[in-house]
Amino acid sequence: MNTSWLQTVKGMVTVTIRGGRQEMLINEAASAGIRLWAIRRTSPEQMVCEISVSDFFRLRPLLKRTGCRVHVAARRGLPFWLVRLERRKFFAAGLFLFMCGLYVLSSLVWRVEVAGNDKLTEDDILAAARAEGIYEHQWTWRMEEADVLSKNLARRLPGAAWVGVQRQGTTIRIEVVENTMPEEQPLYTPRHLVAAADAVVTAIEAENGRPVVKRNTKVKRGDILISGTIGEGEHTRTVVAKGEVRGLVWKEYDIEVPLTQEVKVYTGASRLKRHLLIGERTLQISGYGAAPYAQYETVESRSQMAWRGFRLRLGTVEERQLEIRTDRRQLTAEEARAVGLLQAKADILAQNGNETKVVGQNILHEKTENGKVYMKVFFEVEQSIVTEMPIVQMQGE
Amino acid sequence: MRLISRKLRKLTAELLELPQDVVFDLPRLTMIGDRQLYIENHRGVLHFETDRLRLALSKGELEVIGSDLAIRAIWTEEVFIEGVISKIHMVE
Repeated sequence: MNTSWLQTVKGMVTVTIRGGRQEMLINEAASAGIRLWAIRRTSPEQMVCEISVSDFFRLRPLLKRTGCRVHVAARRGLPFWLVRLERRKFFAAGLFLFMCGLYVLSSLVWRVEVAGNDKLTEDDILAAARAEGIYEHQWTWRMEEADVLSKNLARRLPGAAWVGVQRQGTTIRIEVVENTMPEEQPLYTPRHLVAAADAVVTAIEAENGRPVVKRNTKVKRGDILISGTIGEGEHTRTVVAKGEVRGLVWKEYDIEVPLTQEVKVYTGASRLKRHLLIGERTLQISGYGAAPYAQYETVESRSQMAWRGFRLRLGTVEERQLEIRTDRRQLTAEEARAVGLLQAKADILAQNGNETKVVGQNILHEKTENGKVYMKVFFEVEQSIVTEMPIVQMQGE
Repeated sequence: MRLISRKLRKLTAELLELPQDVVFDLPRLTMIGDRQLYIENHRGVLHFETDRLRLALSKGELEVIGSDLAIRAIWTEEVFIEGVISKIHMVE
């Protein structure tokens, strides 16, 4: 017997009807709007049917008219359930308290999550959120709407471009998108750019400041190349001079190269030492004892078991000892000179940076003595010649 | 006079192809297999037993014979019968 929820709320009773004119009772009830349902016969003089509680009381006058007698067999629905609950007061109170507790506890904020912050610290964001009324054990009904909170939080966090506040049950999730700030530039005092060495200017490019020299100008060390004072008369200002000045610089090198050179040579003999690798420890397996070579180099290769990018802490280490012999090589004067020049150029590059170019070279003097080649070489180098000089403000002029 | 009005009704029903139950107050029966029976336009229950149910109609009677018959629901003009229905019988 499927009953609707409305019938359950109203409450219904199962009644047995005996005696009298039962068919007439059914007809009269139907015409009076009293709903009887699931009418069935249990015996020739007894009928069972369902009726709602309110209709049951309206049935009384009809019973008198038709001479039927009713007996309530079963009661179902909310009203009867409430009556039973009234008898069990503490159970009802417990049920009520449980519902209240559940409601109260679920309307508390139990967790505040912060996501998306990188430069902003979580503590800062939580502090701002606290000021806006978002904190643990806060009542959710005391908080403002999520969009208002997002707006207010964004105002409190200047480092955030966007703040999103989301409530999922008892968890508040604050999502932050941070501003991308340009890198802070270091502060400079006003300055001139001056020549670092005696040179002939080959290129000048002033980013800031007033270029003083031109191409092909000969400058001495300390001469101003790009001036930090701009403007004339009353409008004079000092600025940070910035730019690039390249020039030809002359350098004299004294080079000495020995004619005999020592060279390391592998003899081809080698010996293998094997180790087992377990975790961070190694256990030697083969190649015990000291190496039989007077001079040797060791080359280590490590192989570890891995499976799909996951390295096991188990493997082998192979250590190969290679014998070395030192040979002496005799250079001709030509070779020695080339080696010396190469070393000198490498030294120039190392000292003045990668943009340095060696434009010309001139061997001024060369002699071979005591198994060595002595040379005096004059290099013409194109390089950056700027160095900074701060402008000192004269006060009280 | 009644005869004339009845004839007029029959004529309009035939002309307009109206359902007979609407025009003549006849019962309309809807039956689902042998287990449910829905009757409109009845005039009350005359007799009710588990194996026999008699309903009054505007003209004559309707007798439902079966077993385990039960009135699932009843309204002034409609009745909903459930059970195993074996026979429906019209009595003039």
